Formats: sequence, C-alpha cells, structure tokens
Amino acid sequence: MSYAIEVKNLKKSFGDLQAVQDASFRVEAGEVLSLLGPNGAGKSTTISMLSGLLAPTSGDGCIMGHSIIREPEAAKKSLGVVPQDIALYPDLSARENLVFWGKMYGLRGAVLKTRVDEVLEIIGLADRQKDHVGKFSGGMKRRVNIGAALLHKPAVIIMDEPTVGIDPQSRRHILDNVKDLNRQGMTVLYTTHYMEEAAELSNHIAIMDKGRVIAYGTHDELIKMVGEQTRIDVTLNTEAEKVLTAWRATEGVSKIDSLDGKVTALVDDSNRVLPRLFEAAAKANVRITSVDIQEPNLETVFLHLTGRALRD
Amino acid sequence: MKILDIAFKDLTRSFRSAFAIGMMVVAPLMLTGLIYFAFGGMSSGDVGMTAIKVGVVNADQLPSDSVLDAPIGDNIRSMFFDDSVKSWIEASDYTDEASVRAAVDKQEIGVAVIIPQNFTTSYMSGEKDVQVLIVNDPTLSIGPAVVEDMVTMMVDGVAGGGIAIETIMERLQANGTQPDPSQIPAWIERYTNWYRDFQRNLFHNPDKAALVVVAPSAGETETADPLTQMMGLTMAGQMIFFAFFTGGNSMMSILREHEEGTLARLFTTPTDRTKILMGKFVAVFITVLLQGLVLMIAGRFAFGVQWGKPVSIALALTAQVFAAVGLGVLLISFVKSTKQGGPVLGGGLTMLGMLGGLFTANIPGGMPKAFDAIGNFIPQGWVLKGWRMALDGSSAGELLVPFLVTVAMGIIMFAIGAMMFKRRYA
Repeated sequence: MSYAIEVKNLKKSFGDLQAVQDASFRVEAGEVLSLLGPNGAGKSTTISMLSGLLAPTSGDGCIMGHSIIREPEAAKKSLGVVPQDIALYPDLSARENLVFWGKMYGLRGAVLKTRVDEVLEIIGLADRQKDHVGKFSGGMKRRVNIGAALLHKPAVIIMDEPTVGIDPQSRRHILDNVKDLNRQGMTVLYTTHYMEEAAELSNHIAIMDKGRVIAYGTHDELIKMVGEQTRIDVTLNTEAEKVLTAWRATEGVSKIDSLDGKVTALVDDSNRVLPRLFEAAAKANVRITSVDIQEPNLETVFLHLTGRALRD
Repeated sequence: MKILDIAFKDLTRSFRSAFAIGMMVVAPLMLTGLIYFAFGGMSSGDVGMTAIKVGVVNADQLPSDSVLDAPIGDNIRSMFFDDSVKSWIEASDYTDEASVRAAVDKQEIGVAVIIPQNFTTSYMSGEKDVQVLIVNDPTLSIGPAVVEDMVTMMVDGVAGGGIAIETIMERLQANGTQPDPSQIPAWIERYTNWYRDFQRNLFHNPDKAALVVVAPSAGETETADPLTQMMGLTMAGQMIFFAFFTGGNSMMSILREHEEGTLARLFTTPTDRTKILMGKFVAVFITVLLQGLVLMIAGRFAFGVQWGKPVSIALALTAQVFAAVGLGVLLISFVKSTKQGGPVLGGGLTMLGMLGGLFTANIPGGMPKAFDAIGNFIPQGWVLKGWRMALDGSSAGELLVPFLVTVAMGIIMFAIGAMMFKRRYA
C-alpha cells in the first residue's frame, strides 16, 4: 500500500506545552483525510510540521515517501499548502500573486503562464485576474489563496480550515473545489472544526484533542464507536449547574456536558431516559424550554470520547 | 533565480506604495526645495536677482595740475563695468545727461549715474556741494538703492582718502617738512589698502567686504556659487537621512510579510530560507541605490547641485547604500512588529541623523568639535563626510578613507542583522 502522507509519532512541544503528542496516521494516495477537532486540538501544529513550517520535536512525517526531516525540499515539492489565513500580497493582482507563487515552486516560462491561466479558470477569477487582491471580497481572496497552492499540480494538498469566516456561498464553492481536486487524483489533508465538512468530504477522519489523535476511521466506523447511543440537546431557563449533578447520576446517561445554557447528553435510550431528566429538572425547580433528539454523528463521537462537546 | 524573483516582488510592492515613494523621493526633494526657495533659488541655480540696468554719464575731467593719474569719475564709472558685477549690473555709457534721462524715462535703464564735468576738481578743492547725480525709474526700489550705496561707498572712500592726504600734509608741514606732491598716489594706495582691511573687519568676514571685488579665477566651476554649494550639502543631508529611512522601511517588508502570513507561506514552498532572506536584502539594496540615483539626478536638475567627480560620486553613493542597508537590517532585526518599527525608524534614525550632522551641515563656521567627534561613531556622519568631499571636488583617492570606513560599518551592521534574522526565521 502506498501512502501519500504518513505521520509517525509526531511530537511538538513549546516549552512545557505539548501541542502535539505522538500523533500518527496515514493517508492513502487519492483520498481525503479530515483532521477534526476543536480549536487548540493540535491540528494546525500538525500540518505546520508536515508543511515544513515548524520542526518536529520528535517523530517524522513523509509526503509521497519523502521525509519532512531528511528531504524537506522534495517533500515540499509534492505539497501544496493552503494556510488558514489569507496569505497573499494585497497590492499585487491575482495574476501577479499566482505568477510569484508559481515561481516559488520552480515554474518558469510557458509552463508557468499555462498553469496560471488554468488555475485562474479553476478558481473562477479569470476575468478579475488584473485586479489587486486587496480589492477582492473575502470569498474571492480564499479562492486565490487556494489557487496559489495548486499551480505546481501537487500530489498532496494540505488545507488548514479554509472555510473559516466566509459566507455560505463561498464555503460551498470551496468544498466543491476540494471534491473536484480529489476527483482529479489529488490527496487532500483537510483540517476543520466543522463536523459537517469532515463528514461530507472525507474518506477517513482523524479526531484530535489536546494534541493527540484520539480516533481514526471512516465516518461510519467512527459513528459505530458510540453504539446505539442517542444525543439529546436540552435548553434550560436557568443555569445548567442546578440540575447537572442530578442528570449526571441519572440511569442511562453516559456522558453529559453544558455550554451557554445548553446541555448535551449521550443516552442509551432516549424514550426511557428523557422522562427521568424532566423529573430531575422539576425537582430542582428548573424548567426545560426545548429538547432536540439527534441520531449519532461526529459531534456525538467527540462527546463520547472526550466528555466535551466539539463546539468547546 | 528565486532570490531575484523575491527581490523583484518586493521592489514592485515598494514602488506601488505611495508612502514608500513619498518617503523615498518626494519628501527629500520637498524639504530641499523649501530650503532652496527660502534662499531665493531658481531653477538655473544662480542667485536669481534680475540684473540692474545702469546708464553712466562720466563727464569728469582731470585738471591739468592734478596729482591724480585719472579723474575720480573714472573710478566711479569703472565700478559699474567691472567683470565681477556683470551678473547683476548691466551698465552702459551715455554721452550726456539728457540722453541718460531719456533712457530712464523710456525704462530702457533703471538707474542713471551722472558724474559732472568738474567733479574731481570740485572734490579735491573741498567744495561742499559737489555731487554725483542719481536718477532712477520711480517704479524701482532695490536697484537704485544698490547703485546709491555703491556710489556712496566709493565717494566716502575717496573723501576719506582726501582727508587722509590733508592730514598727512598738515603733519609733515607741522614737522617742518615740505610735502612732495609726487608721493600723493602712493599715499592714496596705502589708504585704499587700509580702507579695504577696515571693511573686512567691519563685516567680520573677508569674503563679505562690499567693495572688495575678486574676479573668479579661470576654470572655476558653478560650485563657487554659495547657494549652489549650500544646496549641495542640504540635498546630500536630506538624501542621506531618507536613504537610511528607506533602508529600514524596506527591510520592514519582512515583518510585514510575517504579519500578512506570506512569509510562513514562503517557508512552505521548496525555497531555501537563506534565499528568501537574500531576496529581501537584494530588494533593499536595489531600492536604496535607485533612490540615491533618482535624488542625485533630481538634485542636479532642480537645484543645480554639482555632485563632484564621477568616481567620487560612485564611491560616496556606494558607501551610502552599504551603510543605509546595513543599519536598516540591523535596526529591524531587533524589531518584532511593524507597529514597533515605525517609532524605531522615525526616532532612531532622526537621532542618528542629528548626531551624524545631517541637519547642521550648512551652519556657518560648523558645529563644535565635540559634536563633530560624535559623528565619527555614526554611519550617517561618515556618509556625510564622503558626500562633503565629493561635493568639494575631492578625488577618489581622497575619498577612500570615508568610503572604506562607511562600507566596513555597513558590512558589520548587515552581518549582525542578517545573523539575527537567520536565527529568527531560518
């Protein structure tokens, strides 16, 4: 089996803080792997090491068989990186930006010109190529940001939360782009804290928390980890603390967490557990204002694994 | 190749920035221009005074028994035709009072100087009503005043000479010696020399004696003009100050890229980090060099600055580039963000510029020695030394010491700064 990305016991420490601890996973050529986790889980640090931005404290990673430690230049040639924030020159045009980044990947002359034209078509900005990037909308900047990573036709592309802070339309465009690139054979390592994106795009998902990869598998494999459990989201008219201890002790509740007045619980059988929750709330003089019962999803998996909601 | 690509990208960004262009070229030219116009300069580089048109009627004649070689009227006339005043007085002879008055009426001339026929005779005999008549165009003020001053000073000088001769003769007679009239021209010459020295003392500056006329020596260049000389040093001071600012500001592009995220993105490409740093250094070097060239050309055409001999100019400019880039790299290597960079560049470079003498280069008599000594430890001080020598027409050989010292300072600062950057980013 050939792996486009192979991560072996990767570690990164910043002083006492262990940002990534023994992270290991593999991505087969031509598939999409999503690194899913809350902010601060270690996703960006992991891909910063893979893209050569940070040196690992220990461990290693390979891109298309090239070690990021021993053969960093070769590894980088196989890699296109889309940073989380827009990393473009606002006072250069879209075309000038792409030409510059193409040159940084070693493209020259007619090849460079052809690739810039092709990429401008892919990102749908051929008609705005002469405009300065600084004048573009957020979504358009994101598209150029992605385009700059595609110029040298990399075998692997790493995308670090490329949909953060943009409108739904641009988000849709980017997700469709990722699917298109993958269909063309590109391997994609995609980081996100949106479980819907991970579910929609990925062949495999690695869930990270506190610097560790805590689960790895396909979407269905991960869902199976929570078994027949159901997720219940409850909204209260008061602080959750008044009833949380009682609910935690309720039979059939396996995990429970609260944030901003909303309580998320994993229960074995919602039909049996829900009346008990209402009864405990009444005893604590707390009124339940809404209840949402959901089938297991990646959020449920995260809650199951960590005892915390993914949105934390 | 990637080094040049990075440098070209940085140059493109710099030259698209209105702020950068303003600080690189517009600000130094504007500041120099303000000083230039404050001192009345015009585009040709001369003092700019319109020539005073003077008509002279010299009817004075030497009495047959005079001890003088020539009538005094000839001396007054020659004052207006002297080569040294040709740039600001256009004099012409008229035969009689009527014709010169007519010329004033027609505004062909601004001032008429009429020396009467018996001027020398009357003057030497001590008559009180002897006079040189000045007729002027009533619409003019400065020209007639200048001419009047010139005539008055000349006549005063002659009157003083007369008094001096009278005194000598009286003293000789009082001592029982009969004066020899053939000695009178020698006494007049001695008096003239004394009067010239007196004037020099009066103005506290040998160059400013009003009636001391020194004809320019053959081959003397435009730099002899005090305004042009002053503008040369002023322009050099401004150019040096803003070259150092440009060096620092251009180097700040690395901090800007760090904040924009493009530096991190560059590091993810298969481009060696040393090459990325080199590309940025090359951009700063080219920017400061181009700025120097543009300002020199602009200074030549706008203010008539004669920068000196070509090889000396090349040495002074090269030294400036090395020092400005070196200090820019060093200063910015200590700075963490562009927000910090502004005050560091503004404050730091202004202080160093002052200590280096950039703003006091034109003070008459120069600054105290202790202040000049401080300049020996400041790169700007050495760059100014180089330009001062180039402007004075020094040869490349004479410029070698300031050139080598400045370049060495630049290289040392650059090496320290580059090491700091490499430690931070590479």
